[in-house]
Amino acid sequence: MTNLILRNSVRFVFLVLFQVLILNHINLGGFTNPYFYIYFILLLPFATPRWLMLLLAFFLGISIDLFTNTYGLNAAATLFMAFSRPYVIRLISREPEETFGIQPSLRSEGFKWFFFYSLILVLLHHTTLFYLEIFRFTEFFHTLLRVITSTAFTLVLIFLSEIIFHFKGRERW
Amino acid sequence: MRNLFLFFRKHYFIFLFLALEMISLVLFFRFNKYQNAVMFKWTSGISGGIHSVYRDISEYFSLKEANFILGEENAALHARMPEAIYLSDTAMFSRNDTLFQSEYRFINARVISNTTNQRNNFLMISKGRLQGVEPHMGVITGNKIVGQVVNVSSHFSWVLSMLHSESKISARFMKNNQMISVEWPGGDYKKGVVREIPKHLQVIPGDTVVTSGNSEVFPNGILIGIIDNLTIRDNENFNTATLTFLTDFNSLGYVEVVVDMFRSEKEQLKASFRE
Repeated sequence: MTNLILRNSVRFVFLVLFQVLILNHINLGGFTNPYFYIYFILLLPFATPRWLMLLLAFFLGISIDLFTNTYGLNAAATLFMAFSRPYVIRLISREPEETFGIQPSLRSEGFKWFFFYSLILVLLHHTTLFYLEIFRFTEFFHTLLRVITSTAFTLVLIFLSEIIFHFKGRERW
Repeated sequence: MRNLFLFFRKHYFIFLFLALEMISLVLFFRFNKYQNAVMFKWTSGISGGIHSVYRDISEYFSLKEANFILGEENAALHARMPEAIYLSDTAMFSRNDTLFQSEYRFINARVISNTTNQRNNFLMISKGRLQGVEPHMGVITGNKIVGQVVNVSSHFSWVLSMLHSESKISARFMKNNQMISVEWPGGDYKKGVVREIPKHLQVIPGDTVVTSGNSEVFPNGILIGIIDNLTIRDNENFNTATLTFLTDFNSLGYVEVVVDMFRSEKEQLKASFRE
């Protein structure tokens, strides 16, 4: 249990710094940015109390906002994503929850489950984020393109780290 | 009462979500409207410090290029020294600079954070109120436009980049001084859009667009961009055009803050007219 808390805290700090210092400087084709920090929300244990999940999402978003001077933008998007997480899990799961592992992962839940799980949540987050940032409908299709390409980019990063860190013999960080 | 309490307890998840989301949105709309006024003052110390370290490290990778630019600037300045000017006449004219009051002063500053990939981009620079930077001052690099200071703390300033949806620069064509305005439509950080081009005006690709000097923000004649192509709008009063910025916003290292020495005088004059 302590181990689980420690692992998640380290992941929180690492993902925030990784996002702020490296990913925020990446810009493909003029409009594609990965927002990999939401990986933290994806990997929270199934048993996390739901109020704790919302508070963590809020602080995660605010931490990112602190560095980009967009107070509340990332927080609002991440909150919405965390709010949707229990419903998305219920929506895509066939088996009862007891058969799940400790936390969502590619290895324990299988490719199809994990793909739809991360696709839906990342899409919800990116859609909220980009449309809130623009806050007008005149650039609707341009923003839609940003949402789609950035979602693809974020998903690639998520699956890469799943493969690198979770396909070893035992559970890591 | 008890039922109400039970109702809240049963649906606490939704209510907690709505409360936190409300806080986020209030923060978002408030601080983006007032240009992060309050938060910036007490968080710039932390985020500014971390960005500075990041910049210190990443600057090593562009030292070669920075040297090259400095060398070129040096050469250009040397060319303007009195020694470099050939005097063909035996009579010598000298212009004593102290007789003229200079209109603009420039504060050199380092860029410590910069984005080009958002719809609304900002820069943080390494000079603040203690070094004489104030809100509404223009920011340029070389002779090219960068943005406008919107907020200052003691040691840092927050600059609204040209690449922001609120940026609307008063400009003119270099060749015929016709007034226009330049904006950034989002997307590619190299491309801007020129609005309010009068119908009768001949515009060809390659025309240079510079600042008009109508505001107290930028001096006259700061370079903005080169026209790409003109779009004729049949049912509107003005044409529009796209332009390529001369500034490379993605590789800003050092910038200069423009201090207009006569600004308070100009503002007083305008204010007196309004009354």
